Amino acid sequence: MQGEGLLAGLLGSLKPRRRRRQPTEELPLASRAVSYTVIAALLAASLPIILSYTLLVELSFSASFIATPFEKTSFTLENWRLFFQGRLAPTAAQIYTPSYIRRMILDTLIVALGVMGVVVASATPAAYAFSRMNFRGRGALMRFLILLHAFPGVALIIGVYAIYVYTYRRLALGLHAGEAALLAYAFLYVIVARASLEIPMSTWLMKGFFDRIPWEVEWAALVDGASRLRVFTRIMLPLVKPGLAALSIFSFMAGWEELIYVVVFLPSKAPTLASYIHSQLSGGAIETAYLPVVAAAAVVYLIPTILFFVFTQSLLVEAAEGAGVKA
Amino acid sequence: MPRPRLPPPALFLSLAAFLVLVFYMVPLILTLWASLTPVRNWDIAQLRQFVGAENYRRLFHLIRFDPDVSTVVKTTIVFVAGTLTVNVLGGLLLALAAFIIEERASLGFRLLWFLPRMTPVAVFGLLWYYFFYPQGTLNAILLKLHLISHPVNWGQDVLPWGPWSIIIFVNGLVGVSYGMIIFYSAFKAIPKDIYRAALVDGARLRDLVFRIMLPLTRWHLIFVTVWQLLSLLTTYAHLFVLVEWGVVEKWHGMTWALYVFETAFGSAVNDQALASAAATLLVVVGIGLGLLTLRLMGFERELGAIRGEL
Repeated sequence: MQGEGLLAGLLGSLKPRRRRRQPTEELPLASRAVSYTVIAALLAASLPIILSYTLLVELSFSASFIATPFEKTSFTLENWRLFFQGRLAPTAAQIYTPSYIRRMILDTLIVALGVMGVVVASATPAAYAFSRMNFRGRGALMRFLILLHAFPGVALIIGVYAIYVYTYRRLALGLHAGEAALLAYAFLYVIVARASLEIPMSTWLMKGFFDRIPWEVEWAALVDGASRLRVFTRIMLPLVKPGLAALSIFSFMAGWEELIYVVVFLPSKAPTLASYIHSQLSGGAIETAYLPVVAAAAVVYLIPTILFFVFTQSLLVEAAEGAGVKA
Repeated sequence: MPRPRLPPPALFLSLAAFLVLVFYMVPLILTLWASLTPVRNWDIAQLRQFVGAENYRRLFHLIRFDPDVSTVVKTTIVFVAGTLTVNVLGGLLLALAAFIIEERASLGFRLLWFLPRMTPVAVFGLLWYYFFYPQGTLNAILLKLHLISHPVNWGQDVLPWGPWSIIIFVNGLVGVSYGMIIFYSAFKAIPKDIYRAALVDGARLRDLVFRIMLPLTRWHLIFVTVWQLLSLLTTYAHLFVLVEWGVVEKWHGMTWALYVFETAFGSAVNDQALASAAATLLVVVGIGLGLLTLRLMGFERELGAIRGEL
């Protein structure tokens, strides 16, 4: 762990070692009895996590409100029907429509894909430069990136919002931008601002992937007269595909799960799943919120996370195994 | 083909550099500057006025005389110390446990404990909303066990430790996987032969843990501690939902970082000048701890070089 942070650590530690494991490597560090005791203790410690996620899913399918996963309730799809019909808060005065739900999911997706695009487009070339080029201030800049990552985000968001207020007013009053344009600007701003926060760690992560590719591959092309840009796009990018996949997934998730930036920057008429759940529970809204429907929304919101766990295991293995060249 | 001649490193760095400049450096300078101005209600024209250290005077006055703000300071200290302990010791225990048991079970548990980190803040907040609110899971279980006779609003009524425990618990669940992952990879990185030699010499599990694994990973321990300290000082997303949704009492669920946010964005306060002063204090502490981490990572590199000679 030399500053590559959690992401690289995850890649290193989550991959099943079966490919490299040789028969002699099986070390019985503890006896069977100790091992089973440890598993039992782990299971007990994991109980709150297991219970709470189970309850959430169960609640979205149950006819009445339940407080624990063990309570008797009858199975129903009613909450899901209400959710997809847009009847998010049956007792509230506000009427939603099915298009509202589609819009909500779409908005969340726009932010997530946008963050992913900006992060991949900016961090990948930067990581390539840090991995492969010698220039003045390289070491200092890399250390600076770590400092940036450690930076209190709450100190930044005040300044980031001040710039937003300034530019938004210029657009609205100076340039007389229409409502649609202003909304597009809000989305653009939240995407780019949120993505920027991911740049420091993403650059470190991608640098790790570039570092693993032997210099000879690139050198051969450079000797043949290719430019740096050409080498980067034609040779290096295909070789770091697993890294690009990992970076895309992590940055997508960062955008998908974002709550604070979305609540602060996007107008309430452009809700995401996060701001919808937030609006149902914050302030006095809980009086009218119907928790099982909120649970259904939360399960929808969890789908990418679950897909991440189901599918990326193999992808993470690939990513951790390193890029195509095994020199 | 004539093209604008930009030196290649600058070309590759340009987009990232531009974004870092616009969304890190400029906002940072703006925030620092705003702490010296009277800006309120996002009336950014007020950024042109200069009031000197006035906001800092107000801030220290509030810390001394406003019971709510001094509660925030206390909450910050308890939250950071408590969650740091959970994250470091818990992460160490989880990594040890995952390392000892067989690979298949281990992978399952590591994925399970990684789940909170990958769960959207709003969903994770909702999980613990269902768990802690008066009609929620915790009270249902305690009622069933006859440990309480009527539902208790733990986060609102049991002050100060009710809300403090809840924020430490929720953030601990999110944060503990960081230590787990780093310690686990560190244990894996110790050459197998060392374990094997110790086992041949008759070492027991306890010896392995205290004589080999912990001493060889002490730099990881220090690194995780400092890095987590920094993260906990600056984190506020989960605390934001717990406070806003009323899971915990406002001031006992609010750390310094959230206080900055609420002061700047809370509709009742909207005092960006004061928030910026509070943020500046956080920045000073953050930069100090960040530099310390860099020093520690330098140490780690040296340790890595020596390990090659083993």
